[in-house]
Amino acid sequence: MGKTILTVDDASTMRKMVSFTLKGAGHEVLEASDGAVALQVLQSRPVDLVITDIHMPNMDGIELTRRLRASPHFGRKPILLLTTESDPARKNEGRAAGATGWIVKPFNQEQLLAIVAKVLPNS
Amino acid sequence: MPLNDNLQQQLIRDLLVESFDSLDRFDREMLVLEKGQAGAETLNVVFRIIHTIKGSSGCIGLTKIENVAHAGESLLSLLRDGKLTVTPPLISALLEYSDALKAMLRCLEQTGQQGSADYSALLQKINAFQPGAAPQPKAATGFGLFEEEPAAPPPAPAASAPSAKIEAAPKAGPSVSDTAIRVELTHLDKLMNLVGELVLARNQIVQHTAQTKEGTLLNAAQRLNIITTELQESVMKTRMQPIGNVWAKFPRIVRDLAQELDKKVQLIMEGNETELDRTIIEAIKDPLTHIVRNSVDHGIETPAARRAAGKPEQGVLILRAFHEGGQVNIEIMDDGRGIDVARVKEKALQRGLITPDQAARLTHHEAFALVFLPGFSTVEKVTNVSGRGVGMDVVKTNIEKIGGSVDILSEAGQGATLKIKIPLTLAIIPALVVTSGGERFAIPQVSLLELVRLEGAQARQGIESLYGAPVYRLRGQLLPLAYLNRELKLANAPSGAADDITNIVVLHADGRQFGLVVDEINDTEEIVVKPLGKQLKGLNCFAGATIMGDGKVALILDVVGLAQNAHVISEIRDRTLLEQAKAAEKADDRQTLLVFSASHDARLAIPLSMVARLEEFPRALIERSGHQEVVQYRGQILPLIDVAKYLPKSGAAPVLSDPVQVVVYSEQGRSIGLAVGKINDIVQQTLTVQRQAARDGVLGSAVIQDKVTDLLDVPGIIRAADPTFYQTAPAA
Repeated sequence: MGKTILTVDDASTMRKMVSFTLKGAGHEVLEASDGAVALQVLQSRPVDLVITDIHMPNMDGIELTRRLRASPHFGRKPILLLTTESDPARKNEGRAAGATGWIVKPFNQEQLLAIVAKVLPNS
Repeated sequence: MPLNDNLQQQLIRDLLVESFDSLDRFDREMLVLEKGQAGAETLNVVFRIIHTIKGSSGCIGLTKIENVAHAGESLLSLLRDGKLTVTPPLISALLEYSDALKAMLRCLEQTGQQGSADYSALLQKINAFQPGAAPQPKAATGFGLFEEEPAAPPPAPAASAPSAKIEAAPKAGPSVSDTAIRVELTHLDKLMNLVGELVLARNQIVQHTAQTKEGTLLNAAQRLNIITTELQESVMKTRMQPIGNVWAKFPRIVRDLAQELDKKVQLIMEGNETELDRTIIEAIKDPLTHIVRNSVDHGIETPAARRAAGKPEQGVLILRAFHEGGQVNIEIMDDGRGIDVARVKEKALQRGLITPDQAARLTHHEAFALVFLPGFSTVEKVTNVSGRGVGMDVVKTNIEKIGGSVDILSEAGQGATLKIKIPLTLAIIPALVVTSGGERFAIPQVSLLELVRLEGAQARQGIESLYGAPVYRLRGQLLPLAYLNRELKLANAPSGAADDITNIVVLHADGRQFGLVVDEINDTEEIVVKPLGKQLKGLNCFAGATIMGDGKVALILDVVGLAQNAHVISEIRDRTLLEQAKAAEKADDRQTLLVFSASHDARLAIPLSMVARLEEFPRALIERSGHQEVVQYRGQILPLIDVAKYLPKSGAAPVLSDPVQVVVYSEQGRSIGLAVGKINDIVQQTLTVQRQAARDGVLGSAVIQDKVTDLLDVPGIIRAADPTFYQTAPAA
């Protein structure tokens, strides 16, 4: 069964790529251009998974993760971080903030689908 | 599941648009960094820009771009974390790096490939800044769940410190991406075209309903009218862009140029948010860039020269844009050396753009206008900085093409200001509709100053003739006139009407006024400008065409072109015209003469018909053959005769200038060069020769341009120098 997934990235290329891949797998995909927009989207639409970039203007992915974990609505739903290999420190920050997993950019479509399948076992 | 081609193309397009924008921003932020004015956020911004480009290009499979981006990303992360400090060479390297990324993206845009350029040297340079070791090698791509990983060390307190700061940060409002979308330009262009058509249809309906008495139709037409106007304004607004978009590149250009020339320049930009139609933005991009380069290259002096002139070492270049009177004004001011009027005149004389007579009469302001003449450049050597064969004349032409004007103000030593006025939009313009010879024409309102209507006796006597050119005295000023019927060779209006009433449309073009006489003045109207087909592009009298309310086509007059055709605007041309007119009064026996001097004081003249060509030879090219001075000319040997040697001695010893001015004289296929001191002018006038002044080499004297001038005996001089010239058969 398809799930609702929110992709958060300031680069539209990345959002489109994620969105296209996941839609192809039967999911519904919402998009947000940074953490602040993501929080607004989440106020009106519940989602099953958030995939967020770390480096974004206004509110970054770490802060978004922290806020979502603090929100009773979102609860323990999975959050995936898009990280880069040059930034292990940020990855650890994300872990501390409560992220579920990570994907290293650049990734291919198979990798994205594999990790999504891991965190959304019923899909 | 491979990415399908369509999506791939779309992703690449997105990447290109985003990356070009963000790399421009990257450059700007780099300059802020270099000045040491950057806040903590600046480094985050530049890091994010590169990070995004790297991530996106990697995902689409553009590995080459990704690899180059990667090198900079690690350098920027060191900078961001305070492990490196900003130095000018570092900034230069990063700017070069940004250029490399742009070049690859441009290549991708044009060819669909990432290009084959080798950036390993650049990457080495970038890596060299990173202390200790090479940047972290790219890890294998991957993904995972944190719970499956061995426990990470507890996050260092340093890592959580910034996050506390983020929490304290003010709540972020909705970002721009919430309220803005990207729209293809072609959609906007199409929308604008449709609105243009709608305006035409509206005009037709409004005109038809003007006669109707039917209330509901009239009401509907009025509402249509109002809504169309609002729609037109709204659509026009969607095409507006802040001029800052063009200016965004200038800090980088000025920086690079200043560094190249060892100058110090501070660039100040005011009115970034001033909006313009995007077609106009496109059209002014190159001219503005040229002017800015010019100002830095020629205007602003070196620090040493500025110190000597008592100015601060750092020059100031100010760009200012603002709206005024339905037009956009752009001013480019520098506090450099300004324009040297004497040098400008001298150059214009040397290039034969004006005569000495004219030079003497030019006001300062008129002299500045000379730099806009084709073929003018005050800088001796063409530098690769601003002299690229594009002169100020091209700048002026480009700006006038879009209905704008350029003006220069300058004070020697104090700097120069260029003032550009351009219309807000080109698509729909207010215009005055006139009729002449039974045809209707539209005149753009921006060129219109006033309308003058002469009736009865005034119409018959108001227009005077000055040296054959019609003029009207408008409040004590002479206004040159052009007759639209005559200029366009239209049939004259039925006689009777024309005698009683004269309609003069007072226009300004090129900073001067002139009157255009038309048969009838109709009304002002919003017209939609349609470009002329390329078969008609060559006609400089017309700027385009439009469709009128009754569905008929009317041509839009190009005021500047029309004025040039009618010889009514340029002061210089104006005077030549007057002189020609003066001469024309005695057309039967006037002659065209070349006036020159042999040495510094003697004024000489020969009929222009004897001159084959005028040439300039650098002294170094002059060789000797026997006792004869010669020069190689068009594959032949041209003997040179120093005219001064064959004239009766006048006071000072003749000194030939370098380059040597030469009048080439040809007879029966043989040529000989007369070396003269200076070529002054070409005049047309009636010659009254006083024979009693005749002596060796001189036929007689005449008064030319109010000065006594000797007429040179060319055959006599040639015979004296080379007795065989007229005898030998041509070498052929």
